[in-house]
Amino acid sequence: MNREDFLERVRSAIKVSELPPIPEAPPGGLVPDLPRAGVTERFLEQVEAVDGHTHLVGSDDEAVHLIGVLLEQYGATDYLAWAPDHLPVAGLAERLRATPLDAVVPGDAEGRLEHQTGYTDLLVGITGASAGLAESGSIVLEAGPGRPRMASLIPLVHIALLRERDITQSLSHWIADHAEAAADTSNLFIITGPSRTADIEQTLNLGVHGPKHLHVVVLGG
Amino acid sequence: MNVPVTFVERAHRGIGNRSTAAGEVGARRMMSHRIAASADYPAMEEMRDQARRIRLYALGHLDELLARFSDEVEGAGGHVHFAADADEAIAYIRKVAEETNVRRIVKSKSMVTEEIHLNAALEAHDLEVVETDLGEFIIQLSGDTPSHIIAPVMHKTRQDVGELFSEKLGIEYTDDPTELNNVARHHLREIFLSADMGISGCNVAIAESGSIVLVTNEGNGRLTTSAPRIHVAVMGMERIVPTLSDAAVILEVLARSATGQRLSVYTNIVTGARRPGDPDGPEEFHVVILDNGRSRVLAGDAAEVLACIRCGACLNVCPVYREAGGHAYGFTYSGPIGAVITPSLMGLAEWHDLPYASSLCGACLDACPVRIDLPGLLLKLRRDAVSEGLGPDGLEGALKWFTRLATNPGMWRGATRAGGWSAKLIARQGWIKSLPGRGSAWTDYRDLPAPAAKPFHARWKERQRES
Repeated sequence: MNREDFLERVRSAIKVSELPPIPEAPPGGLVPDLPRAGVTERFLEQVEAVDGHTHLVGSDDEAVHLIGVLLEQYGATDYLAWAPDHLPVAGLAERLRATPLDAVVPGDAEGRLEHQTGYTDLLVGITGASAGLAESGSIVLEAGPGRPRMASLIPLVHIALLRERDITQSLSHWIADHAEAAADTSNLFIITGPSRTADIEQTLNLGVHGPKHLHVVVLGG
Repeated sequence: MNVPVTFVERAHRGIGNRSTAAGEVGARRMMSHRIAASADYPAMEEMRDQARRIRLYALGHLDELLARFSDEVEGAGGHVHFAADADEAIAYIRKVAEETNVRRIVKSKSMVTEEIHLNAALEAHDLEVVETDLGEFIIQLSGDTPSHIIAPVMHKTRQDVGELFSEKLGIEYTDDPTELNNVARHHLREIFLSADMGISGCNVAIAESGSIVLVTNEGNGRLTTSAPRIHVAVMGMERIVPTLSDAAVILEVLARSATGQRLSVYTNIVTGARRPGDPDGPEEFHVVILDNGRSRVLAGDAAEVLACIRCGACLNVCPVYREAGGHAYGFTYSGPIGAVITPSLMGLAEWHDLPYASSLCGACLDACPVRIDLPGLLLKLRRDAVSEGLGPDGLEGALKWFTRLATNPGMWRGATRAGGWSAKLIARQGWIKSLPGRGSAWTDYRDLPAPAAKPFHARWKERQRES
């Protein structure tokens, strides 16, 4: 059906519709009344509550050390990371002790399949994050140049680096300040804990398609 | 579509069996999660009111919002197809698949593609279609249908799944959910990375940016929309909201009402295909906007049902759903919402018994995050069915007799007296355990309190004489 006929059919349906009273003005968002104070603590608490791991670090050095420890702990020989200028820790790749593989960033469409099958064995993905949401323990990520979607999706372990000042109260708070966020990227996504399913007898299982382990590293100050 | 049996017949197959019992346990658990999550969130009631306003506003301005949405999708380099019905939607997806040499398709969970029986239609044209939500994957392997809007295999036990996987995937039998989960992850991972097309549904569409929003917990929604080179989203035309801020309100109430989560694990907002410089993401983005009866629903008196955000909360609280199981509703959508949507979309002629699959207790209205008056809509549909001559057998005759009795005091007194006498003959200790003929529809399942030996009006007269 062409667009005009389709929309005309909708238009005539609305005219005779017996809907409950329709608001005249667009209702818009609703920002819940949540305190700004203590968002970091609440954020850390909520990430843990959805089975994520949290680390609050005071400096870049501390962050680099922590990531080195995590890579070792998971036995990772390589990792997929966002481009350096999209990570809040300067020179992360150079400063890690053992870095057999630099940031793997897939290139043009031609290389897509090779790159993506290459990811299957990747253990660790390292990304930045645009925001942390205290109320739900979520992180907000925006895909784009130097920021592959796959880094937070394919590996078994996702390490997200977040600046403490980017933590806000809730999704509605963040969106109220970033009304254009959806239009600005081909993929805006909000992650709340590691991948989970409860499809089989509602028994919780982590890591069904996405990462099984989520580490959120908060850079204080 | 042929309906092989009535709701009552299908319900009889479900009542008391192992699958329905498993489903009931699941439904009750999800209900308690929702209640806990709502109680835990002070803004919940306010959010529900706002979500309702947003959904009603969207329905009242659907034509404008769809026009804007379509412009924005095209502006972001995507393609929009308006499909009047299932056939048009399927034809378009097949055409895209053909033109882009698609062989293997992965799907993330979507009720609307179940509604149009998309998988079978694509498979009939030699396309491989693989469901990737763990629950839907299990459904597909076993040739079953979902029994719950958001937990499709709630009716299966871990042993069922273990037997299925060992038979179909050739693994050693295990009924450990963690191991079964790992088997599915490995099996599906290869399929994801070699798929040509990903087909998703759409939880919410955003008009101002031409975005679609998908929520999943497993991550299959993100993989489906990111790994293959073509992404096709199928959306019921009513899914739309005006802005990202509106979408946030819907998301706040959706996860809490569905699973008791504050947000689903992955809230995935897709705007067009990959952009220049993007390292990954699909090369093409298509949206199929589906009517398939929805404009008829919108024009009717059950239009409010289109405000539904598909959380499944009304299923979990419904005593009829919990006893009869999701399959008793005979179509994609089950529970109270299904009892309204199915006859509204597909016509009362074949689905006139579904509005009676409810005790009108009102639990669904209580649970609905956007406060859809489901009991009221069920009554409207019953009224419509009766006025189209599709009411329950004998209802009209019985009401005619009742009207005659109840409007004639002499006859009424006679009838109540006769009732009292006959009750004396068949009642035991104040209860009638068995009635012949049509009366057995009641007494087969519960006892009927015996009518008073002396009718009310007779006792009233006595009292007046005494005082």
